[in-house]
Amino acid sequence: MGLQTLLCGDGPLASDLADRLTETGSDVSVVEPSGLLDRAEAAARVDAAVAGLGGLDLLVHVLSAPPTPTDLVDLDTDDWAAAAEAPMAVGLHLLQVARPHLANGSRVVHVLPTSAMGGAPGFAATATAAEGLRALNKSAARQWGPAGITTAVVAVAPELALGLLAATEGAALADAALGGPGGAGQLADLLEVLASPGAAFTTGSTIVADGGTWMAP
Amino acid sequence: MSPDTPTPVDTGLLEGRVALVTGGAAGIGLGIATAMAEQGATVVLAARRLENGEPAAESLRAAGHRARCVRCDVTSRDDLEEAVAAAVEEFGRLDCLVHNAVGGSAAPGPLEGIGDGWRGLLATTVRASFDTAQVAHPHLAAAGGSLVFLTSAAGMEGSANLPAYAMVKASQRALAKSLSREWGSDGIRVNCIAPVAMTPAMARAYAANPELEERLVERTPLRRIGDPVEDIGPVAVFLASDLARFVTGQTIVADGGGFLGL
Repeated sequence: MGLQTLLCGDGPLASDLADRLTETGSDVSVVEPSGLLDRAEAAARVDAAVAGLGGLDLLVHVLSAPPTPTDLVDLDTDDWAAAAEAPMAVGLHLLQVARPHLANGSRVVHVLPTSAMGGAPGFAATATAAEGLRALNKSAARQWGPAGITTAVVAVAPELALGLLAATEGAALADAALGGPGGAGQLADLLEVLASPGAAFTTGSTIVADGGTWMAP
Repeated sequence: MSPDTPTPVDTGLLEGRVALVTGGAAGIGLGIATAMAEQGATVVLAARRLENGEPAAESLRAAGHRARCVRCDVTSRDDLEEAVAAAVEEFGRLDCLVHNAVGGSAAPGPLEGIGDGWRGLLATTVRASFDTAQVAHPHLAAAGGSLVFLTSAAGMEGSANLPAYAMVKASQRALAKSLSREWGSDGIRVNCIAPVAMTPAMARAYAANPELEERLVERTPLRRIGDPVEDIGPVAVFLASDLARFVTGQTIVADGGGFLGL
C-alpha cells in the first residue's frame, strides 16, 4: 500500500510486523523503545527516522513484554519499572515527538495485548502499561481529531504479544473462533485497512484482532 | 445531596475490620475513611502531612470512631511499609487497603506540552499501586481482605484535557484485574472505584472555572456531584465488606451516571 510507517517496538512481533509491512510495499523505519525514554533523544531519533521516510502516514507502537511471567509479589522494583512504567514514558514521548510529523490523514496505532482489558497473571506490569497506553491512544484521538489525525488500538492475543501461552491461562472463556491467534501477516493487513481512507471515521477505537477469543463488549 | 435522597444507614458492616486509606486526610480519602468508620471499621489515615491527617483522625475519634493517622508519602516505599506495619502492630490486622492518594502535575493541556510533572502522577498512582500491593499482600492474605484503587472514568474514555492523568488511571484498572487473577486463590479481592465527588481539588477547579459545576451537573443524570462520605464512601464500604465477597477485578463507577461506557 506504500505507507510511510514509523514503528516503535523491539520484540518478535514488532520485527515480523515490520517485515510484513515492507513486503506489501510500505516504507518502514523501526525505532527501539529504549531510545525513547528520554524525550530529547526520542525527538532526535524520530526526526531522523521520519526524514528518512520522507513523511509519516502510519505511526505504530508495539508493546513488548518481559520474556517470562512473574507474579507481582515476586517482581522487583526495577523489573516493575521496566515493564510497567517505561513503556508509558516511551508511549508518551513517541506521540509528543511524532506529532509535528503527523498530518491530516495520518493514523496512530497501538498494538497491545487483550490483557490490557482483562488483566494478565504473571504479566501484571505489562497489562498495566498496555491499559495506560490504550487510554493515551484515546486521549490523542480526542485532541488530534480536529486536525484529521486518527488513532486506533489493535488488541492482539496475549500469546502473540507476550509470546507465551502462559499469559492466556484463564483469560479466555473460549478458544479462538478462527482457530488461533493469527500473526504478523493478519496484523499487517489490518493496519493497512486502518490506515486507508475507508477507516478514516474511526478514531480512539479498540479493534480486537485475536481470531475471535475476546469478544467483549 | 437532595433532601429526599436516602442516607446509607449504619449497619456495622465493617465491625472488627481494619482499613488503611492513603490520601486519607481530606476529600474522597477522608470520605471513604469516614464511611468505613461509621460502619464499624478501625481506620488508619495515611497522610503526607500529619498536620492535615491528625485533625481528620481526631474528628473521627471525636465522633466515637476508632481512627489514627500515620505519616505516609506514597512515593516512599519505606513510608508505605511503616504505615502498614503501624496499622498491623496497633490493631492486629489489615482487612482493606484503599489507595486513593494522587499527586503530581495534571495541568490540563495538549499532549505535546506534558512535561516532567507527569512523573509525579506516575509515582503516586502507578508505582504506589505496585508498592501498596506488595506491602499489603501478606496482611490482606491473612485477613482474606481486599485492595481498592481509586481510578477515574478518564482512564476508560481518554481525556482531551488530562491525557497523562487518563493514562495512569487506566493503568491501575489493568493492575487490579491482573491482581484479582493472581490473588484470588489467596482470598484477596482487588477492585477499583471511579468516583466524581466534591473535594477540595474540585472546589479549586470550580473557583478557577465558575461554569464547570453547571456543566458537570448538566451532564450527570442524577444532576449533582457526589459527596465523598455519602456517595463514594458506601461504595468502598461495599467493596471492603462481605457483601462483595464474590466481586473482584471490577471497577465501580460512582459518578451519578456521568460515564456509562462500561
